[in-house]
Amino acid sequence: MASTDKPVDTEYSRPTSSAQAPAGVDLFKFDVILRFLLFAASLVSVVVIVTGNETKYIPLPRPAKFRYSPAFVYFVAALSVAGLYSIITTLASLYAIKNPALKAKLLLYFILWDALILGIIASATGTAGGVAYVGLKGNKHVNWNKICNVYDKFCRHVGASVAVALFGSIVTVLLIWISAYSLHSRVPK
Amino acid sequence: MEGQRKGSFNVMEGSEANGKRWCGSVVRTCDLVLRLLAFLLTLVAAVVIGADKQTAVVPIKLVESMPPLYVPVAAKWHYLSAFVYFVGANAMACTYATLSLLLSLGKRRKWMETVITVLDTLMVALLFSSNGAAIAVGLLGLQGNSHVHWNKVCNMFGKFCDQVAASLFISLLGSITFLLLLLLPQLFRLKQTT
Repeated sequence: MASTDKPVDTEYSRPTSSAQAPAGVDLFKFDVILRFLLFAASLVSVVVIVTGNETKYIPLPRPAKFRYSPAFVYFVAALSVAGLYSIITTLASLYAIKNPALKAKLLLYFILWDALILGIIASATGTAGGVAYVGLKGNKHVNWNKICNVYDKFCRHVGASVAVALFGSIVTVLLIWISAYSLHSRVPK
Repeated sequence: MEGQRKGSFNVMEGSEANGKRWCGSVVRTCDLVLRLLAFLLTLVAAVVIGADKQTAVVPIKLVESMPPLYVPVAAKWHYLSAFVYFVGANAMACTYATLSLLLSLGKRRKWMETVITVLDTLMVALLFSSNGAAIAVGLLGLQGNSHVHWNKVCNMFGKFCDQVAASLFISLLGSITFLLLLLLPQLFRLKQTT
């Protein structure tokens, strides 16, 4: 008699499909914080580079804007996409904290989309960084003169923006690591 | 009846375990093939741009009355810092692909999978950023930038620019391969959890 109202774990001693997979590590709160950081980094990068316009009079007025270089235009576009993506995934992550049933599948989607966005952010950082480096140092082999001695405010803005985008890409790498770790910890031994 | 139920669970579990084992070996083969492909692509990209050199003769007019001087000008990949970064990143990715290929051929332990996933993400980020930098600087060489008076150079060094473009395309394929390498084991792990 006592055995009938005991919980059924003696019969179901082998783990079945989803009933007894290990609960795994739950790092979703950390995930939400990192995604918010990614959003903040993307927003700051875009705003700082867009407001970096500078005009120098040598003697004709010659402006320096981010629009004048296709590399910086790509940088702004890519980081805007990353910012939008981070808003959507922050909301998805918050939703997953409320509905714990979705977590495992959501982890895979996070890893997939985070990897794509990592590619986009890293390439944008590299692109803007490469062109900014040529602007900083110049290149005597191809006769490209440095411009940062003339346009100091513009260069400061671009440099700060690229540094914050680099921070954003590090945050994305951390996001992939914790999603992969959470998924890995859910695999039954 | 309990024995019957236990037996049916055994059958289900056995076929599930077999299915997962087959799936696991397919994923493992795909992983090894992708690593080999990544190694080859990054190696070819680094070599194609590393062996890139072109000399062009440029007429320089010093004085109006005298005929122009013909000066040979060389274009080498290491004249541009972005290409140096590109070659360095591809060389690192190639080395990593070899090491992880050798590591994966042996017995796969759990800590190895964590380390490989960690390093795979770093390689994806590195490769994509080096591609972006090299493409940006290559585009500057192709089109120039009139606002800062940076003249284009690809009209003089056509062969050099073509080889750089080919190398960039191959490296882009290599970065996509690394991306697939990152995503494939996670897909398999999701199947393992359900």
